Amino acid sequence: MLRKEKDMDPDELKYHKEHTWVKISARKATIGITNYAQDSLGDIVYIDLPEVDSDVEINSEIGEIESTKATSSFISPLSGRVIEVNEELSESPEIVNEDPYGKGWIAVIELYDLSELDDLMDASEYAKYVEEEAK
Amino acid sequence: MNIAVIGSGPGGYVASIKAAQLGAHVTVIEETEVGGTCLNRGCIPTKSLIASSEMLSLSKNLDEFGIELNGSATPNFLKILKKKDNVVNTQIKGIKNLFKSWNIQLMEGHGKLLSPGTVEVLRSDGSKEIIKADKTIIATGSSPSRLTDFPFDGKRIISSTDALKLADIPKSILIIGAGIIGCEFACIFNALGSEVTLVEILPRIMPSEDEEISDLLEREMKKRHINIHINTTIKMIEFRHDSMFVLLDNLQELMTEKVLVAVGRSYNSHGIGLEEIGIQTGKHGEIAVNDQMETNIRGIYAIGDVVGGYLLAHAASREGITAAKNVMGINEKIDYTVVPSAIFTSPEIASVGVKEHQAREKGIKIIKGYSQFRSLGKAHVMGEIAGFIKMISDEDSGKIVGVHIIGPHASDLIHEGALAIKKGLQARDIAETIHAHPTLSEGLMEAAGDTYGEAIHVMRNDYKKHKN
Repeated sequence: MLRKEKDMDPDELKYHKEHTWVKISARKATIGITNYAQDSLGDIVYIDLPEVDSDVEINSEIGEIESTKATSSFISPLSGRVIEVNEELSESPEIVNEDPYGKGWIAVIELYDLSELDDLMDASEYAKYVEEEAK
Repeated sequence: MNIAVIGSGPGGYVASIKAAQLGAHVTVIEETEVGGTCLNRGCIPTKSLIASSEMLSLSKNLDEFGIELNGSATPNFLKILKKKDNVVNTQIKGIKNLFKSWNIQLMEGHGKLLSPGTVEVLRSDGSKEIIKADKTIIATGSSPSRLTDFPFDGKRIISSTDALKLADIPKSILIIGAGIIGCEFACIFNALGSEVTLVEILPRIMPSEDEEISDLLEREMKKRHINIHINTTIKMIEFRHDSMFVLLDNLQELMTEKVLVAVGRSYNSHGIGLEEIGIQTGKHGEIAVNDQMETNIRGIYAIGDVVGGYLLAHAASREGITAAKNVMGINEKIDYTVVPSAIFTSPEIASVGVKEHQAREKGIKIIKGYSQFRSLGKAHVMGEIAGFIKMISDEDSGKIVGVHIIGPHASDLIHEGALAIKKGLQARDIAETIHAHPTLSEGLMEAAGDTYGEAIHVMRNDYKKHKN
């Protein structure tokens, strides 16, 4: 797959196999979906956000993302408690298409188990993983 | 043969016409207006409100279609109701004209059985008339069920009947019961701009439908900012100056202008002489009938909502035809194997046959096929891409046993499924039938193909998954 420079996955983030990214700051993790995920989904029309204060578990569905092509589960890359969600996405879900790693963040989770971070991929590992999956 | 029919809803009026067509002399007794709940307080008026509210929703998406609106589209509830009344009145006239043309006599008043063969008609002015009939068909229907703790006052705590004649669009409305009636009204008032809250005692909205249908409807309603509380009941309603304070048993509090109670229907089996002449009823008051629609008293038949079961206009009409035939000496048994249902939420829901959870409960082994409306070009053209078609087939016989649709025009699409089940077709029969392009019906062909993992509009990864 040809990848353009601007689509590169930021090095400072961690990645989960269900195509979500994680940005760590102390015990808090901001999460969202990757550029590859938004590109595969196409135009996003609705995001069913997780609920603030709800407990989420790693690898489980915490929301749904609906695009003009498909409805997909939003799988949590980590376990913890949701402390903030990006409310702006309920009115303007297309922000995720425009800026998946920035303004298109989906939620902030307070982590329960920092060791879960060890299983996430870095940018280059994720790039390889995506290439494998596309085969 | 003289026949008396008590009630002129979709059961009674159809039975009357059928009996007249077969040569009977028919008298219909109607307390309010011909057409029953369906035409006056149910199917037709709600669909008129839905048509108006959808027009308004559409006007908000005009830009998407390249149309610029100079000014704003605003609902005028009085005019919306007037349009509804026009539709209803036209239909009423239509039924009355049919009655005339078949020499069916319409008597206004409350019908009550005095004995098998004698019906008393009590007019609103207090006068009475006795009718002699060789056979009688009871088609008295049903009424909105009330909650003892929160009785209707017609103003603030209202029934579906009251909701059709409100003076204005309420700023906020809390709907108790997320069944067919509750969800349809939720969609209507939401589209008209009310703040809508749905409260359902069961664990999911639209509990009569397939579970996946409920899930999608819930998401679509949330998308439209309808507040939904499942597993919830009302703890308290307190009347305030011009609104009500409501406490839910999940301890949430809210203020609302109206409360619509939509918790089901009660059978109109009281005050019509059943007890006096010994007609058997079930524990909720529904009249017990055999498969020819005859009660335990020979010559007295009952049809429609008052016999329980489906509580659908089209089921009542079919029961009416069956009753009329038997009355006229043609032996026919009612056949409920295929009774499609249509629910006019946004998006629409329609279903026929077995639901997945029913198959599970009965231990029937099934195979499923799905298609998404968003995979259809036509759905994108219309700007209505949410929804899916789910086709359920019996694994052993391969025959289609259930079709469940949520999406645009579901109520029209369902009948291909109904016919397939009626004729014992397999999903393959539908998959191999060329469907015109571009249509929503292509979705049925795709769902049928998907039953065998042979749908075309499927990504390779999903296709592989299916094959494994």
